[in-house]
Amino acid sequence: MMKIQELTKQYDGKTVVDGVTFTIPKGKVISLIGPNGAGKSTVMGMISRLIAHDSGLVHFEGKDIGKWKSKELSKRLAILTQSNNIQMKLTVRELVTFGRFPYSGNRITSEDESIINQAIAYMELEEFQDRFIDELSGGQRQRALIAMVIAQDTEYVLLDEPTNNLDIYHATNMMKTVRRLCDELGKTVILVLHEINYAAFYSDYICAFKDGKIAKFGTVEEVITKENLSEIYQVDFEILTIAGKPLSIYY
Amino acid sequence: MNTLAIRANRRKLLILLALVLLCAIGYMLLDVNFSNPKLLAYAMKIRTPKLIVMLITAFAIGGASIVFQSIINNTIVTPCLLGMNSLYTLIHTAVVFFLGSASVVAINANLSFAVDVVLMGIVATVIYSWIFKKTKHNVLYVLLVGTVLTSFFGSIQTTLTRVMDPNEYDSLLNTLVASFNNINSEIILFSLVLLIGIVVVLRKELALLDVLTLGKHQAINLGVDYDRCIRRLLLGVTLCIAVATAMVGPISFLGLIIANLSRQFFKTFRHSQLVVGSALFGMIVLVGGQLIVEHIYTYSVPISVFITVGGGLYFLYLLLTRKKV
Ligand SMILES: Nc1ncnc2c1ncn2[C@@H]1O[C@H](COP(=O)(O)OP(=O)(O)OP(=O)(O)O)[C@@H](O)[C@H]1O
Ligand SMILES: [Mg+2]
Repeated sequence: MMKIQELTKQYDGKTVVDGVTFTIPKGKVISLIGPNGAGKSTVMGMISRLIAHDSGLVHFEGKDIGKWKSKELSKRLAILTQSNNIQMKLTVRELVTFGRFPYSGNRITSEDESIINQAIAYMELEEFQDRFIDELSGGQRQRALIAMVIAQDTEYVLLDEPTNNLDIYHATNMMKTVRRLCDELGKTVILVLHEINYAAFYSDYICAFKDGKIAKFGTVEEVITKENLSEIYQVDFEILTIAGKPLSIYY
Repeated sequence: MNTLAIRANRRKLLILLALVLLCAIGYMLLDVNFSNPKLLAYAMKIRTPKLIVMLITAFAIGGASIVFQSIINNTIVTPCLLGMNSLYTLIHTAVVFFLGSASVVAINANLSFAVDVVLMGIVATVIYSWIFKKTKHNVLYVLLVGTVLTSFFGSIQTTLTRVMDPNEYDSLLNTLVASFNNINSEIILFSLVLLIGIVVVLRKELALLDVLTLGKHQAINLGVDYDRCIRRLLLGVTLCIAVATAMVGPISFLGLIIANLSRQFFKTFRHSQLVVGSALFGMIVLVGGQLIVEHIYTYSVPISVFITVGGGLYFLYLLLTRKKV
C-alpha cells in the first residue's frame, strides 16, 4: 500500500503540487487524469523518488520512501517517465534487458532471459528486438520502454502517459496489458492518461487533478460524471453508459 | 545477433592491442644501435620511461574522457575541453608560487604531485559539479563555461609565472609545465598506484556506467544512488586528468579524438569495451605519433601540435555532423 499525505512541491516559488493526500490501494489500476500542467507527472515523480518533495509524506509498504534503499525499491517499484531521450546506441532487446539490472546487474541469467522474452512478447516487439532504438518510430520506442518496465517485474508499476505516440491498436493493447498485469499478476498499476475513456474502461480508481490539487478521487463511476468532468476540463461533456462503463463524449 | 556483435568487438579489441604492441616495439627498437651495448643501454634508458609515461597517459585520458562523457550524457565534450588540465597546471603553479620554488614540496616531484592531486580532487569536483548543476547539464552552456574557464585558468597561471620571475619567464614555464619533450617520469610509480587505486575504489561505480547513460531518471528507477555515483566518478576523472597533465602537460584534444574513435569503432553502449578501446586508441596515437615525430620529423614538430590540429578539425567535424546538440 502506498499512502500519500499533504504532498507539496514548489518550483521557483510557484506551488505546482499542493497538499495532495490519497491512498493507492494495492492490486488495482489507478489512473491520474487532468489538464496539462495540473501536476500529474510531478506527483508521479515524487512518489517514485525521482523528484524530491518539499513537504508531506510518501509512505510505501511500511516505510517512508526516502528510507528505502534505492536498490531494494527498484525491485518493488518501476516507473516510466513522460519524456525519455536515450543517447546511446542500444537495441530494443538491450534496452529491455536493462529492466533486469536491479536483480542481476550486468550478468543476465537464463531466468532473466525468459522474463525479457516475455516482456518483448507482451509489447509485440519480436520483429524489432534487434533494431537500434534511435531508428524506431516514436510509438515503437514507447513500446520498447514499456517492455523494459514490464521486465523490471515489480509489484508497483507507474506509467506516465504510456499511450503517448501509440496508434489505437497498440494503445488498446497497452491498456489490456495493464489489466493483465493487475488481474493475472496482481500488480498495482498507476497511470497518467489523457484519454478519459481508456481511464474509465480499464481502471478501478480515478484520481483527477486540477491546479496541483486533487479535484476528485474515487471509483470510475464516482469520478466520471458530467458535472465533475466539465468542472475539471472546462469543456462540455455527455456521458453514455456502454458495457456498464461511463463513456464520455466531449466537443 | 547480440553475441555476434560482442564477439566482433572482442576481435576489434585484439586488433587494437596488436597495433599498440607494434607501435611500442617500433618505438623501442627503431634506429637502435645493437652492436654497441653502451648505446643500446642508453637508448633503452631514455625510451623506456617515455614509453611507460605515454601508455599511462593514454589510459588516464582515454578512460577519463569516456567516463566524463557518459556522466554528462554528451559525446562532444571532454574534461580537457572544459579546462580541467588548465586547472591542474594552475594549481601546480600556485602551489610552487605560494610555497616558493625552493621549498621541499616544490623540489620533491612526488610530494609536489601528491599536494597537487589532493587540491585538484577537491577544487575540480567542487567547480565542475557546481557548473553541471547551474547549467542543468545543458551542453552548450557547459561548453561555453568550460571555454571561458580554460582561458581564465590559463591567464592566472601565466600571470603567476610572470610575477615569480619576469626574467626567467620562459624557462620557468618549462619547468612548471611538462611536455612531450620534457616528460615528468619521476612520478611514474606514484601515478600507476594512483590509477590502480582509482579503478579498484570505483569498481562498483564503473560497473554502473552502462545504466547511467540511460539518463538520471532511468538510472534512479533501476536502483542507482545517482548523485553519489556521479560525484565519485567525477572525482576519479579529475584525478586521471591530474596524472596525465602532470606527466606530459596539457593535450586538449587527445581525449576527444580517442573517446569518439572508440565510440565510432565499437558502436556499443558497453563501457567495458568503450573505456579499454579508448585507452588503446590513445596508446596508438601517442606512441605511434611520437615514433613518427622522432624519426621522420626528428623532433622538429612536437606531437601535441599534431594532436591539437587534428583534434580541432575532428571536433569541428563532430559538431557539424551531429543531428542535434
Ligand atoms: N523542472 C521544473 N521546473 C519548473 N517548473 C516545472 C518543472 N517541472 C514541472 N514544472 C511545472 O509544474 C507544473 C506541473 O507540471 P507537471 O509536469 O506535473 O504537469 P502534468 O500534469 O504532468 O502535465 P501534462 O499533462 O502536460 O504532462 C507545470 O506548471 C510545470 O510548468
Ligand atoms: Mg505530465
